[in-house]
This record gives sequence, structure tokens and C-alpha cells, in this order.
Amino acid sequence: MPQPHTVRVLRRSRATAALLAVGAALAGGLVPGSATASSHREAPLIAADPTVDNTDLYAFVSPDKPDTVTIVANYFGLQEPNGGPNFYPWAENAHYDINIDNDGDAKPDLTYRYTFATDDRRKNATFLYNNGPVTSINDENLLFRQNYKLELIDQRGGSKVLLRNARSAPSNAGAASMPDFRVIRDQAIAKVPGGGLSYAGPAEDAFFADLRVFDLLYGGNLTEVGQDTLRGFNVNTIALQIPTHMLALKGDAKRNPVIGVWADTERQSIKLSPGQAKADGPFVQVSRLGNPLVNEVVAPAGLKDAFNGLTPDQDGKVKALVDRVTDPELPKLIEQIHKIQAPAGARADLVEIFLTGITTKAGGPIKADLNSQLNNADVMAHMFVPSEMLRLNTAIPPNAQPNRLGLLGGDQQGFPNGRRLTDDVVDIAIQAMEGAAQSGALVQALATGDKVDANDVAFEHKFPYVAVPGNASVNSAVSTKVETKSSVLGDLPAGALIGGALGALVLLGGTVYLWRKRPSKARHRSTRPW
Amino acid sequence: MESFLEPDQPDVVRWWPLAALVLGFAAVLSVFTGYSEPESVAASRYPGQQNRVLQSVSSLQGKLHQRPTDAPAWAQLGSSYVELARITADASYYGKAQGALDKSLSLRPGDNGPAMLGMGALANARHDFAAARDWGLKALTVQPRSAEVYGVLADAYTQLGDDLAAMNAVQAMLDLKPNVASFTRASYYFETHGRADDARMALERALTAAGAPDEIAFCRYHLGELAFNSGDLDGAERHHTQGLALVADQTLLHGKAKVAAARGETDKALTGYQNLVTRAPLPQYIQEYGELLAAAGRSGDAAAQFEILAQQQKLMQAQGATDDLSTSLALADHGDKAEALRRAESEWGRRQNVLVADALAWALHVNGRDAEALPYMTKAMALGWDNALFAYHRGMIHLSLGQRAEAEQYLAKALSTNPNFSITHAPVARGHLQALRSGR
Repeated sequence: MPQPHTVRVLRRSRATAALLAVGAALAGGLVPGSATASSHREAPLIAADPTVDNTDLYAFVSPDKPDTVTIVANYFGLQEPNGGPNFYPWAENAHYDINIDNDGDAKPDLTYRYTFATDDRRKNATFLYNNGPVTSINDENLLFRQNYKLELIDQRGGSKVLLRNARSAPSNAGAASMPDFRVIRDQAIAKVPGGGLSYAGPAEDAFFADLRVFDLLYGGNLTEVGQDTLRGFNVNTIALQIPTHMLALKGDAKRNPVIGVWADTERQSIKLSPGQAKADGPFVQVSRLGNPLVNEVVAPAGLKDAFNGLTPDQDGKVKALVDRVTDPELPKLIEQIHKIQAPAGARADLVEIFLTGITTKAGGPIKADLNSQLNNADVMAHMFVPSEMLRLNTAIPPNAQPNRLGLLGGDQQGFPNGRRLTDDVVDIAIQAMEGAAQSGALVQALATGDKVDANDVAFEHKFPYVAVPGNASVNSAVSTKVETKSSVLGDLPAGALIGGALGALVLLGGTVYLWRKRPSKARHRSTRPW
Repeated sequence: MESFLEPDQPDVVRWWPLAALVLGFAAVLSVFTGYSEPESVAASRYPGQQNRVLQSVSSLQGKLHQRPTDAPAWAQLGSSYVELARITADASYYGKAQGALDKSLSLRPGDNGPAMLGMGALANARHDFAAARDWGLKALTVQPRSAEVYGVLADAYTQLGDDLAAMNAVQAMLDLKPNVASFTRASYYFETHGRADDARMALERALTAAGAPDEIAFCRYHLGELAFNSGDLDGAERHHTQGLALVADQTLLHGKAKVAAARGETDKALTGYQNLVTRAPLPQYIQEYGELLAAAGRSGDAAAQFEILAQQQKLMQAQGATDDLSTSLALADHGDKAEALRRAESEWGRRQNVLVADALAWALHVNGRDAEALPYMTKAMALGWDNALFAYHRGMIHLSLGQRAEAEQYLAKALSTNPNFSITHAPVARGHLQALRSGR
């Protein structure tokens, strides 16, 4: 037993210290008044929800198999390798849908639906993703697995299961855990009955850009670009290769070569109402992506949520969205800062491009027939509904030497005729916006764009084309040399511009889209909250 | 540039009248507390899972340095600060949030849904639920399909005690955006209506949708709470352990300490609480630490904690913070009983939520006004919440009224719902129940 007075002294000093700590905390900002769990449960309010967030969509005629189309849909952006015990799983109770509209009515004629189920073999015994090196997709050491079902749903809602219990490739847990990830990745490629291939799993993020370009554009300073802000990050990828005739209207890709593509995700909701046996609710669309540079963008701030919940057939009915296309804000901002005149008048050209695809059959100003379903021989014009989606003319053969500026560079195989992995949508965007819409001439002052002209990792020549996911943490990633020609002028054949309207659209979309979808990563990330 | 964007100094000036000496220390120590990296509170154990709220704050700050007239960016920054305050339990972000939101509204006074939403979230965080409801309704006229706006309304209506409006707001949220924000609110709705299985299901759905460390910690902690509140200590501990494997979060450490206390592992629990109150001296932690010390027979140490609690409440009151609900409950058990009643009545004047009804009933009881207490207790239990503390309070009120059968019924219910519902009160309930059953 300690002596009583000693105890008292200790008590007092401990109490005093604690009191001082309280005072310090209060003065320092830790005023805890509203943090007591008993009186008020503060739940998260603004959730990023990355697992079901569409970040990019690509659709192109497969370069090594020109009678097939490859669609690549990415989710869960900005994954840093070494993500921790759960890494980057696919969501359960969710639908990952890839939709095809081949008759132009803005409704899916075909939906390829991926649903994932987790096979967690860790139980409660361990938190490890894997228990020793994983050298194959069926390796016993792999403790966290996800399998998927691939269904094909037709326009009447009838569905047929194409793949059952197909294996998703695991997150890349690092060189020690997965010494050769490519082996595992390739084992995860499944053959789709009827011809075709499917891959679900991680990939290096194919998107390349210096996302700071838009901030800098606003600041009137383009001297600090040239850094691929997405270097080193991985994404979750669904890649699907399907014979073209299976996607085409009436199975005839010769008469009906144009398809519209968009990806969306749905998550199952909950019903609160009492008296039900199960609280299950309906599946609700939570994310949507067609043209990568238009999603969410055209929507003013207050409508962004709504846009993610809209289906394409509703696009034309939302006046606020259409207004944003006919009267885009961005060229005006650029005019203020850079004194480059914004195209005048209501942008009928943008409406045409945005909602119909490039065609002479909708009365729009662009005199070309490229990628509207209206150009399909069997489409009935009166059934056509303008809507936002990525449109691909599958009849245009792959270009052996793709121009990164796509259509603006005279390469009809490229964006916005579908979108290839190598298409430099940011530079296209900047050039197009800077006056190309009105003058057809490029703007020298901004010719270098974001100075990121290609992905830091080479794409592959066969399915799934996207690169194997990296496993070095982003901050330690070796700085690879990125090829930068740094002038779009150098890449442009003379007179190849199809029209600046195109680019203006892209820009309009691009800026806000990128901000919203891809929070830029500070070069020197501050750990301080202010 | 505004102070809520730039690094600022601790605002110690307004504290001078209170206690200069403490504040002298505080000013020095605040460098280490208030300005500690928020990740230290809810940090991921894995560098790959950066706090997305922090990322968003730093990217918004960068953008606003370039373009300080961007009203939507100011609004987003304000909302991000509110989230940061929640995650870090650091209320100094409220001032920054207010500044950023005011700035946004001054740049665009009307039609500014994101700023109105942020104002609503901030008002909820500051327990000004009526103002939160008003901001939410205002935001709704601008953004009629925003799940986040419905989230603000759901929180406000829940706390104001408007059960039907709360249910509709949560359902609207679920219909628009089924995600971690709406699932966690659905879970709370189920829990407070006595639907524990649905509450668990909703939290598990939230957990699978959680994309950030703080969200995972929130889901794990509340899954642990659901287990704990139904007497399942092993289940609770499993959630805490699994959560801590991902996120070093204080709520999970609190959960662990609570489980240790319930298991009678007193030394382990005391160590846990001591670390907690040093790290984040929240009133709830201090109170539970005091109760645990008292139960361990260390009444002197316990008294010291309750003294700290009382001092803290005075400081908070002087600062204008209103949390009369938790203050009333603390005072009823450990302090000035008359003041406890005053606080509860004042809270009831502002809002008629079930938790406030319970606190008012209990405050009336400890002041010997049991007949008046009972109707409030009925209101508290009207939603059907299986809340052991409610049942205990009701049992004790019946006991004081000499209604032995009802007293036995509710004391038994409290203990069968959760035998560990309170370090202080569970033994009291057991004692009374035994006496009632043995007919004494």
C-alpha cells in the first residue's frame, strides 16, 4: 500500500495534467461538444463511392482482330498499389453494365451485365490478402477472390448467362506476393461463348493527362505542365471483346456499322417501410459514362447527381443540360483570361455532335457522315432519340499508325469516333476550344497542350490491350520518360480539321469532367488540412 | 486570401477571461494537438488508402488559389471541412467551413445549392438542427434530386424528432444514391425502430460500399456497437479488431476499451481509456473513464475525471456550444441534478427527439419527479428502439413510483437486451431486479 499522502499527490498531478490537456485541446480546436456519439450520430455525408464510379470508357475496332469490337470500362480510379488488406474490390449487390444502342432509340438493345460475388477465404483468422506468393489465379495462397457472372440482356429484358463463376484477377499485391502478375492477369481472361473475350480485374490506368492543365488554364499559365498526374495509378477494368456482327443492328455490321456505347453502374437500394420480409430495394443507377469528356459536365453543378442517374433517353428532355450544350460556359471563361474569342451564337453544332453523332441526316452544320446510328441502313429515323453516348463506326478499319489527335488529326478511327487508348483527348480538347470551332485554325499559344502526349506505360497489342497494373507505390515509381512532341501542330496534317465544334464539345466536357472525376493529386501532397 | 484557406493561428484571445494559466499551456500545446495531422486520428495503416477528404481539400485549395472567385469550389471546400471535423473530431474546422461557405454564398447568393447544403451540414454538426432543416429545405429547391441534401434533412429531422419526415428523407436518399451515406442512415433508422437485423444488414451493405478509411471505421465501429448493445461482446470485438487492421481510429479503440470493461478486464480497460482521454478528451470518454475508475474502487481518481468533465462543460458553454443532451445525462448521474433538469428541459424546448425525451425523463427522476417522468419515458420508447438504457431508466422510474411489476419487467428487459449496458447502472439494475424477484 502506498502512503496516503503520496497517492493524493499523484492524483492531483494526474488530474491537473488531464485538466491542462483538456484546456489545450479546447484551445487548439478539439472542442468536443458535438462529437459525442450518444447524442448525435454523425454519419458520412459526401461519399466518393469509388467502387462503382465509372472513370473512363473506350470503344474501338480491335487492332489485331478487326472483325471484333473491344470495349474497355474503367472504375475505381486513383488506386495506389499497396492498398492494404482489402485492396480494391468490386462492389457486391451491384450491376456493372455495358450498354449498346444500335438502332438509335437511346435505349439499350444489348446490355452486358457483370455482377461480382466475393469468395473470402480469410475468415476471421487473418487480414492478409494472400498467404504466401501467388503464382496462378487458383493459387491456394490467394485468400480474397472475386468471381463474376456475365449476362447478356436484350431490349425486352430477356437475359442469358454467358459466363458463370468467371474469375476476376485479384488486386496486384506487390512483387513479393505476386512475382509475375501478367501470368495471373492472362489466366483471368475468359472466352465468351459465341466468340469473344472478357477480362475483369486491375489494370494500369490508361488515361494520361496533366490534370493541372485546367487549373493552369484558368490561371493563365501553362508553363508547369508535362507531368502525367495519373502515372503509377491503377484502375479496375472490365474489357470485353465481341464479334462486331453480334453488336450490330439485325446482326448486319455491313448495313448497320454504327453502335452507341455507354457504361453505367447500379447498386441495390434498401426499403425502409415496415412490414416487409426483406428490406431489399430496387437497383438504382449511380454512375454513368458515355463520351468520357461529357459525362457530368454538361450538367451544371446542381444537376450533376441527376445526370449520373439519368438514362440516355432522358437526356434531351432536361432543358438545363441542353442549355449547357448550346451555351457552354467554358469558351467564355477562356475568352476572359486569354482574350481568345468564344464562338458566337447558339451552338447548334454542339447539339448535333453531342446528341446525335456526326451525320448529315440530322440537319446539323457538320457536313460529314461518320458515327450516328442514323447512318445505319436499317434505322428508322422517326425512332431516333438524341442522347449522349460514345458512338463508334465499326466499318472504319483500325489505323496501324494511330494519330493521337484522332479525328482532329485526320484519323477517322480515333476519338470521337469511339475512343482508343492512345487518343489524347486533353490536347484535342484544348486545341478545339481555342478557336478551332470558328476559324478552323489552331492556336499557337496553346499548341503544347498539357505536354503529356502518351501513356507512361505502353499499351499491349492484344486483348485486353491495357497494361498490367503497376505494383510500385506512386511516390516511389521510377520516372519513365514520356515521349512528348509537345505540339499538336506538328502532328496535324494540313486541312485535316473536321471542325472546331467537335473540339469545343470536348473541351466543354473535359474540364468539369476531369475535376469531378479525377481530383488532381498535388505534386507535393500537403499533410496539413489547410 | 482568407484565413480559412491559409494556415492560421489558434484563436486563443477569446479564451483569456476563462483561465489564463491553462491557456498559456494550451497555446503551446495546441501546436501539437489542434495542428496535429488529422490522419493521426483516422489514418489508414496503408499509405495506399489516403484520406480522400484531405485530398479533396488540398486540391480545392490549389484551385482556389488560382481562381478565388469560384463559388462552387468554395462550397465544396466548406463541405469538405465539415467532413474533416467529423472524421477528426476537431471542431476548429467548423470555423473554416463557415468562412468558406460564407464566401461561396457572397459570390453567389441565390441558386447556390452546394453552399446551402454545406451550411445545412455545418448546422447539423453544431447541433443547430432547426437551422439545418431550413438550409436543407432551401437547398432542395435548387437541387431537388440531391441525395446529400436529403442527408442533411434526414439528420435534422431525426434529431428534431420528426420521425415520418426523417424516414421519408432517408428513403429519398436511398432512392437517389444507395451508398455508404444512405446505408448508414438507413441502419440508424432501423436500429432506433427496433429492427436490429435490418440495421446490421444496412451497415454491412455500407461497409462493402465504403471507399475511404474513415467510412470503414465508421461502419466497423457501429457494427461493433450493434453487437455490443445486444450483449455480443465477441462480435463487437471482432469488428473493432477488423476495423483497426485497416484504420487506426479512436472510435474503434474506444470500442475495444468498452468491451474490456464489460468483460471485467479492468486494467486493460483502464489503460485503454487513459490513452483515449489523453488523445481525444471527448466528454463521453471522460465520463466512461470516470465510471470505470469508480467501479474499480478508485473513487478519488473517478472524482478527478468528473471534475474535468464539469470544467470542460463550463468551457464549452462559455464558447457557445450547446450539447445540453449529453450534459444533462452526465450531470444527472455525476453532478448537479437541478442543472441536469434545466439542461434537459432546455433541449426539449428545442427538439422532441427520443433521446431528449429519455434524458428529460431521467432528469425528472433524479430530481424525484417520477410521475412527471413517466410520460416522457413513454415518448422515448415510442419508436420501439431496443435500448437497454431506456429500459433501465423506465424500470427505475416505475420502481420509485412503487410499480413493482413494471419495474421488474423493464429492469429485466434492460439486462436481457444488454447485460453490459452501463458500468455504473447495470449492477444497480441487477441488484434491484434480484430484490424485486425475491419479493423484498
